[in-house]
Amino acid sequence: MTRYFVLYVYFLRFSFSRAMEFRVDFFFRIGMDSLWYATHLIFFWALYRYAPFIGGWNFDQALVFAAGLFVSDAIHMTLFSNNGWMFPILVNKGDLDYYLVRPVSSLFFLSLREFAANSFLNLLLAVGILIWSIARYPGELGAGTITIFGVLLLVGCFINYLMHFLFMMPVFWLHNAAGMRDLFFGFGRFTGRPDGIYKGWVRRILTTILPYAIVVSFPTRALFEDDIAGIALHMGVVAALGFGVLLLVWRAGLRVYASASS
Amino acid sequence: MSVRLFLQIASMEARRRMSYRVDFWINSVAGFAAEFAIVWFLWKAMFAESGAEIIAGFTFEQVLVYYVVAILVGRLVRGTEFEGQPSEDIYAGGLNRYLLFPAPYFGVKYAQGAGALLPALVQAVLFGTVWLLIAGGRGMEDVTLLSGAMAIGALLLANILYYLMAYALHLVAFWADNVWSLLVALRFASGLFGGLMVPLALFPDGLREANSYLPFRSLFALPAETLLGRITPEAWAFGMGVGSAWVLILTVVVRVIWRRGNLQYSGIGI
Repeated sequence: MTRYFVLYVYFLRFSFSRAMEFRVDFFFRIGMDSLWYATHLIFFWALYRYAPFIGGWNFDQALVFAAGLFVSDAIHMTLFSNNGWMFPILVNKGDLDYYLVRPVSSLFFLSLREFAANSFLNLLLAVGILIWSIARYPGELGAGTITIFGVLLLVGCFINYLMHFLFMMPVFWLHNAAGMRDLFFGFGRFTGRPDGIYKGWVRRILTTILPYAIVVSFPTRALFEDDIAGIALHMGVVAALGFGVLLLVWRAGLRVYASASS
Repeated sequence: MSVRLFLQIASMEARRRMSYRVDFWINSVAGFAAEFAIVWFLWKAMFAESGAEIIAGFTFEQVLVYYVVAILVGRLVRGTEFEGQPSEDIYAGGLNRYLLFPAPYFGVKYAQGAGALLPALVQAVLFGTVWLLIAGGRGMEDVTLLSGAMAIGALLLANILYYLMAYALHLVAFWADNVWSLLVALRFASGLFGGLMVPLALFPDGLREANSYLPFRSLFALPAETLLGRITPEAWAFGMGVGSAWVLILTVVVRVIWRRGNLQYSGIGI
């Protein structure tokens, strides 16, 4: 475990030093994400001018949800997004070899090698918005509930990571993951709306097979609803099953991986 | 640049875009389905939980039709904004060969962009037809031949306007290594203030008034509202006037950036 921690610290140092070489892009990225936060807040504000509740949540609750979405997105962009982006390229070029010969888990190395230092600043900004949205919430929110919310938000981020990489894994067989990548981000829009709006079989799919609706909505529900144990159990089961499936597909993919000819 | 050359470049690009695009079509259908599903559920919830039959001048059917049109208009206006674009040419040094062409760089790239719109045009016709078959014209009672003709004019203006906005940001690549973030930022801002995320009627009067002088409204809301017969000919003329003024302003801006950028350009690439 210590070895992995030390390795990760090296990843961080390398990523920060590289990010500072491209300073303009560093600030462009911060501006871009700040604008994304602003457009989302205005979006919810505009909608709530006409409806007191959406998906069972009032405006104050939707603000916490939106802030949770920013944090979840920032974590994904900081830790996983670049790695998910690079993964198909590594497979196609045969550069995955360099990851497979390392004396550490290749999936760990592949998933966390690139740390997006420019997105890290956005993570701080997103956390600030989350703290603000919780602080301004008019109802009573206990420290314990907020802690559970934070933990479940991290579980949601893990589920999002699992989906991202599961969408990328077909590159071992298809040799082109551009379509799958676009699908992952296209379906990702489901994450950005309260899960309470989804009904019927769409809801069942979005909370199980394609669990986009639970990434941020379920942690937020844990903050405002009583069934915390049920929500935590649901997320835990989805995360565990998703991780199991990812490992299975990863191993199956490695069996067909033929280095540069993939 | 001659019209013939423009059409030849556009035709070549269109043929290229229509081949080997299975993943593109899967994404287009799935992406459209996802976007529409979110809109449907969101607005269903809004109407149900507000108890209103009309929100900001839209019935449920009308708002769905608005989004269908706006989404398709969005694809026609934005085109393939991240593929084969000027910033790549500048960054990788590929601009060199274009500088030797006996045609202006902007004209060649815009012709390529116009050709690349063919898949989006096919999508618009296809999805629009499917929608008509499913919805049977509900929420489209005010669509007329005149509104269609006016919408086509608005669409052409929107396309050149968005291209100029994106082009200006691409040219920042003369000084910066990566302008992807700027283009995504444009996407966010245009999505919200252009009427793709929500109909602009949801904004309060002051914000709507201010927004009507910005270039964003001309991008998606103007063509969509025009087609659906939701605005008067006077409002359409005003929108076209504002959009045209922004085209002129951006043309000047782009020329200035291009000239200054060219002085910087080394032609070496990465």
